[in-house]
Amino acid sequence: MSMEQFFTRLEERVSKSPVKWFAPLIEATHSFLLTPGRATRRGPFVRDNIDLKRYMFVVVVALLPVIAMSIYNIGRQAGITEFWPAIWKGLMVMVPVIVVSYAVGGFWESIFAKIRGHEINEGLLVTGILFPLTLPPTIPLWQVAIGISFGIIIGKEVFGGTGMNLLNPALTARAFLFFTYPGNISGDRVWAAVDGFSTATPLATAAATDGNAIEALRAGSMDYSWLNMFNGHIPGSMGETSTLAILIGAAILLITGIGSWRIMLATLLGGLGMASIIYFLAGSSATGMMSLPPTYHLVMGGFMFGTVFMTTDPVSAAGTNTGKWLYGILIGVMVILIRTFNPAYPEGMMLAILFGNVFSPLIDHFVVQANIKRRLRHV
Amino acid sequence: MAHFKVKRGYNIPLAGEPERVLVKGTRPKQAAVQPADIRNFRPQVEVGPGAAVKVGSVLFVDKKHPEIRFLSPVAGTVNEVVRGERRRIMRVVVDAASGDDYEEFPKYSDDEIKRLNWEKVQSALLQGGLWPTIRQRPYSNIAALEATPKAIFISGMETAPLAADPNFYMQGLKADFQSGIYALQHLTEGKIHLSVAPDQQDSFDGVDGVEQHTFAGPHPAGNVSVQVYHIDRLRAGEIIWYISPFDVARIGQLLKNGHYPNETIVAVAGPELEKRQYVKTISGASMVSILPEKLDDDEQRVLSGTVLAGTNASLEGFIGFYDHTVTVIPEVQKRRLLGWLSPGFNLASYGGTFFSSLIRNKKFVQNTDINGDERAFVSTGNYEKVMPMDILPVHLAKAVLVEDIELMEKLGILEVAPEDFALCTYICPSKIEFGEIIEHGLTLIEKEG
Repeated sequence: MSMEQFFTRLEERVSKSPVKWFAPLIEATHSFLLTPGRATRRGPFVRDNIDLKRYMFVVVVALLPVIAMSIYNIGRQAGITEFWPAIWKGLMVMVPVIVVSYAVGGFWESIFAKIRGHEINEGLLVTGILFPLTLPPTIPLWQVAIGISFGIIIGKEVFGGTGMNLLNPALTARAFLFFTYPGNISGDRVWAAVDGFSTATPLATAAATDGNAIEALRAGSMDYSWLNMFNGHIPGSMGETSTLAILIGAAILLITGIGSWRIMLATLLGGLGMASIIYFLAGSSATGMMSLPPTYHLVMGGFMFGTVFMTTDPVSAAGTNTGKWLYGILIGVMVILIRTFNPAYPEGMMLAILFGNVFSPLIDHFVVQANIKRRLRHV
Repeated sequence: MAHFKVKRGYNIPLAGEPERVLVKGTRPKQAAVQPADIRNFRPQVEVGPGAAVKVGSVLFVDKKHPEIRFLSPVAGTVNEVVRGERRRIMRVVVDAASGDDYEEFPKYSDDEIKRLNWEKVQSALLQGGLWPTIRQRPYSNIAALEATPKAIFISGMETAPLAADPNFYMQGLKADFQSGIYALQHLTEGKIHLSVAPDQQDSFDGVDGVEQHTFAGPHPAGNVSVQVYHIDRLRAGEIIWYISPFDVARIGQLLKNGHYPNETIVAVAGPELEKRQYVKTISGASMVSILPEKLDDDEQRVLSGTVLAGTNASLEGFIGFYDHTVTVIPEVQKRRLLGWLSPGFNLASYGGTFFSSLIRNKKFVQNTDINGDERAFVSTGNYEKVMPMDILPVHLAKAVLVEDIELMEKLGILEVAPEDFALCTYICPSKIEFGEIIEHGLTLIEKEG
């Protein structure tokens, strides 16, 4: 029996059995193992080899350096100095979170695919890994399950499924946990994967100080030097700590053309620009966030992780090229404004991106109107 | 004369270019004229099986405008009228006799052609069966009889993959082309624009009565819509006409010789064909007369036209009314294991997600595999990169999907044809059929308007 026959029979049996709600999962496995092999009926008669599976797979590949660094760093932050034991610790913490995220996500995707009569969308591949990376290593697994359920149902499926969603599902999931269980995920404190340890995040440290932000960063129990924060030798959400690993991922996304360079650059410019304006207007006597040099924003909190992997989600971002610039700049500016002027949220990236998501249809609307006006003017 | 450099676009790296060799094809035993090749067209068949026809005898006419006639490209006997779904007439097939017997039409010298007027040229083209070679935009239908086009566009270049190069097959036809231009001059008060490739234009140099332009850049620089967009953009309410350079030469031949010009040249191309060359044959000739006998229909897909804008033909089919390329590509044979995971040194792709993107200028054997399942729109930003007009492909397609006619028109659907979206469909990771969507939009507007 060939693999194709095996799956065809399995799909038939499952679709008639009480567990028919999971038929889409079997179909999805089938189509992951074997290409559909359907032929073109109309021109163009040849088609590019890329499909959404490859597309999402590349994003996952781009996340691998981040995941690797994250696993190592979880162990290190738990106080394990040797390499392999640190890795082991990291795996023990991270793998269950990822498994729960994918399993619960897959459960909901399968049910909605069955209701809507379509196949499971590959977007889950990315959502299911992005979400865990935004969580602290101490996150309870039941919260992971609730979070991803909220992200997929409210963040995506109520809008009509992948492609129709307004918000990034992974960030929606995180935002849900952030507001419902602030004791476990709040932005001002972080945990390492050992009992009872928690410390202020770099951003919270910089926001809380009455003196110069850089000095405060170096003075606490953690050495929040720029280089340490760039390399990721700091506690934090699992995926956000190592700017270095994120930049490798960014390079993969840009070389393959999967991530929008416009959005990444615009967010970077928006953030740097806003931070520079504040920094230079505040002057040398400034304290707290006002005294934080612009480049520090890039290595602190979720700025780079969000810029590279979250703002570029092609569904929730602006779709037009001009719109992508505006969308990125808006997010970059918003992050810095939230971080600097809103004491309740020292980390601003999640809210800034969700804010950008909400505005992206409006941004696109104006770009489309401009296109229409150009055409009318020509007449 | 103007030079245009088209920056956005893409040349699909498909192997199997035709060699620049022209051979005389074997005389086809059958030829056909296919109403299905003509957009938005309902034929009234004038002959039945068994009827004797000459070269230039009427096979069918336009039901709405019986003056628009389609003529037999061979002398012989009508074999059958082939019908498809819902009894739609697909083609009229004629068995060719051994000799050529021509219907006679009026003859003119070049000087006489120059002195003709609108009515006389129109009636000569209608009678001589070449009126349908002129098409119009918006919509790509046969030129309307009472229309006054603001200009006529001729694309003397092709940028689609494996397409026949007009500069090659127009060699030696300059005099006929020139006569055709003299005739076309009576049909518009505007200009006749001829666009050529910068390095391939000697077949068109020095032609009188045209405004010559060069277009450099990747596909779709050779598409009429792109040329119109750059030279004299279509405004609301305006129409333009367009015609292929070969058909301009045929108009010249018709008027000068008084016979229906039934000869054509097609490029036979495809990655797995042994002989890829230009063949001189009869228009509407059977595919078997120009393709190798041992070709297996199950393994190879025979297309009339290019891989982008052509139509399914099969080995039992015929060359399409407007086509100068016959493309043969391998049929997809099997489902591949873990296709999305393969490194892809041999897999063509627009973006950089396969290792093949590291090899410059490599051409690939590509088959009919869609290479994926249809998914929701993902705004990759790549569609805009292959659309050299101020058109927003995703927004236009979405306007069609919700059937918002006003928005479609505002977003410029009347400036485009489905073929202009072939590259969007090609590169789409969600496997969206842009061409089908655009065609649906245009049909909708025609019906409502």
